[in-house]
Amino acid sequence: MTPDTQVTRIRVQYAKGDSLRFTGHLDLQRIWERTLRRSGLPLRYTQGYHPRARLNLASALPLGFTSDDELLDFWLDSPCPIEQIAARLQAALPPGLIIQSIQEVDLGEDALQVQMKASEYQVTFFDRQDPAQLRLRVDQLLSQVEIQHTRRKKSYNLRPLILDLAVVTNSSGECGLLMRLLAEPSATGRPDDLLDQLGYPNTDYLVRRTRLLLAEL
Amino acid sequence: MPLPPQKNLQQQVERILPTVVKPGRYVGGELNQTVKPWESVQTHVALVFPDIYDLGQSNLGLAILYDILNQRGDVAAERAFAPWNDMEAALRAARLPLFSLENKRPLADFDIVGVSLPYETIYTNFLNILDLSGIPLYSADRTVDHPLVIAGGQAVYNPEPVAAFVDAFAIGEGEEVILEIIAAHQAWTGSDGSRQDLLVALGGIPGVYVPALVTVDYHPDGTIQSVTPDHPAVKLPVDKRLLAEFHPPLSRFLVPNIEVVQERVSLEIMRGCTRGCRFCHAGMVNRPIRERSVPEILAALKAGLDQTGYEEISLLSLSSSDHSQIIPLIEGLQALLTERQVNISLPSLRIESFSDELMDVLQKLSPGGGFTLAPEAGTERLRDIINKPISDAELMATARSVFQHGWTSLKLYFMIGHPQETLADVEAIAELCKAIFQEGRRLVGGRARVHAGISTFIPKPHTPFQWAAFDHPDSIQTKIILLKDTLRGSKIKMTWNDPQGSQLEAWLSRGDRRLAQVIHQAWRNGARFDAWGDQFRIEPWLEAFASCGLDPDFYGSRVRESDEILPWDHINAGVRKAFLLEDYRWSLEGKVRPDCRERCYACGILSSFNELRLAAPNGGWKCP
Repeated sequence: MTPDTQVTRIRVQYAKGDSLRFTGHLDLQRIWERTLRRSGLPLRYTQGYHPRARLNLASALPLGFTSDDELLDFWLDSPCPIEQIAARLQAALPPGLIIQSIQEVDLGEDALQVQMKASEYQVTFFDRQDPAQLRLRVDQLLSQVEIQHTRRKKSYNLRPLILDLAVVTNSSGECGLLMRLLAEPSATGRPDDLLDQLGYPNTDYLVRRTRLLLAEL
Repeated sequence: MPLPPQKNLQQQVERILPTVVKPGRYVGGELNQTVKPWESVQTHVALVFPDIYDLGQSNLGLAILYDILNQRGDVAAERAFAPWNDMEAALRAARLPLFSLENKRPLADFDIVGVSLPYETIYTNFLNILDLSGIPLYSADRTVDHPLVIAGGQAVYNPEPVAAFVDAFAIGEGEEVILEIIAAHQAWTGSDGSRQDLLVALGGIPGVYVPALVTVDYHPDGTIQSVTPDHPAVKLPVDKRLLAEFHPPLSRFLVPNIEVVQERVSLEIMRGCTRGCRFCHAGMVNRPIRERSVPEILAALKAGLDQTGYEEISLLSLSSSDHSQIIPLIEGLQALLTERQVNISLPSLRIESFSDELMDVLQKLSPGGGFTLAPEAGTERLRDIINKPISDAELMATARSVFQHGWTSLKLYFMIGHPQETLADVEAIAELCKAIFQEGRRLVGGRARVHAGISTFIPKPHTPFQWAAFDHPDSIQTKIILLKDTLRGSKIKMTWNDPQGSQLEAWLSRGDRRLAQVIHQAWRNGARFDAWGDQFRIEPWLEAFASCGLDPDFYGSRVRESDEILPWDHINAGVRKAFLLEDYRWSLEGKVRPDCRERCYACGILSSFNELRLAAPNGGWKCP
């Protein structure tokens, strides 16, 4: 067994692209595990009959979304220069995963899920929307003190999970939404639930996560 | 020529994907997929597995063909699978065609649509895919503007039930013939020829069967009177294709982005089987036996793991423990296992080929977990009849050894409905399971588990039992109830197949050309996913038989005469009809035919393919 002093914890910031839009959280974990295995890096494994590489994803992304900002932690049994880790991972990446940065982090840090605070999303609509109309819907929604939403037969109050919601318009006059939603372990806002409240079914739009916000340590 | 690219198709599909279950089935984009710019190649081939992605993606045959074709600079192979019911409904509602996963092109845009038909209960899905693609179902209705529809796989050793829907069948091993089909298609494309010209060119390729160039006539009683070639280029019978030696193993497996049924590096370590079980279609049609060497196997597995990052390896063969180097192989695997942190599955182990040494290394290879054995019948008498001659004592000894080596769970496979089976044979299955369970309890105590998996015997073409009848569903039901009653209160778990599903398989696997209209009608009646227990319904089929004026029992429950022309007689799987008939007669006498590795019984393989064998002295053939 490798002495624990040799173990390092590596954090990868990455984007999840279009070809992985319909890959769910558990499947994404397996994709990362296989990517790490292909890289040939000295991974730290769990014990038991079916050892698994030790890894940790910050926040589940709903099916159908892409993201510019996702976080992964994994553990190595022995130290390895960051440049070498980057090169090996780069060579092993599947389509749809793009690495933005890699760094070593403190072994004692909390799990990423625990550090999660909020997520920002950008919504674009397939069909052109009237900005004034959209703004009206947004204002009406935000003016409510409580928004009861039912998801899988369970009702909850969506309002406190909305930290920010704004209509944005690009140079060609097409408008979309920007939102910041709470993403704490016990209280995570879902953009699709919010869009449902605004009257848009999930066949009307694309969602991209633009930023993860971690708690200040 | 292909239609102008449907720019909108992909966008329209985007809008329906969020409404269906597991949309990841329909998007491609996996590691190791090959996407070539559409205009960059001459020949576009759609490889189709007519069941959902989750099942079809792990099909090794299609993966091999995908790799072979995409290695060609002038060919692009893309994949398509059956859409699940929700996606079918969404495509039809939006009036969108079924498309390939790579370039998202409608299947009708391809030059060749190659369909894998590994079993018969997939036929309605095949028709559904043609229909969703806007390709005429019947070969006779297609023009030069439609793709060439070809089919291969284990089911097409009797191509007749789907002959009307397929332009050309590749009989036997496809690794070489697929390139000959491409070459013929390319030559024809440059020639400005008619569709008939293409069919004739294909009909002249060894191993390719073009049903449109062959006429079948029937006696008034429905049996076949004659099968005649209509063109001088066509020679009957059509000999299956056979590789003199194994193709280099595949290592560049696609790694799916969603969970599928099998996610692992798969490698055929052996092809064919010499045991000669009389019920076994695979054992008869895949002769002769050929082995891969241990160094080649280990190198291929390492390369596969490097390319995929998979955590599991599966070694495929009809009878793994019969590999002549099984012990060195397993020792090599053990080294790989510790080096790479992988699990290994080694299916199809024969009861009588177990040594203590093999058990020892197997236990180290995969500690814990379950063990599977397939006695297939409950009594020695019946096991002699089906030519799986294992004594009760051998069976008990192997079971004992399994428990002694530390396994606690044993799964036993049996079939009911064998020719000459009595209720006593069936009851013996339950008694055998109980006796084995007793041994398990004695050796490992309360942790012992025995699971009996019961399936129904289907008399398959090209086997010694091809003349036998399929058991009556009422009789099968009685036998299942008998088993359940005898096992009641015993703590032995029993699972069984739906007898009606097996009955459909019997009709389709033993059918003639006239079944095309039945399959078509059953599909129109709503039959889909007939291989899925929760989707299959017998009613669309019974209605289809009735409306076509055909009697299903004619195909299923009729003992065929020894001098009858069988619908598949003009397909030569390598084993002679006279040999099969002799073996059938031996079965009626309870006479066993030993493993033919020891001594040749002239099944026909060597007389048909000896030149091929001589041309490849290192091909690993195990015929004596």
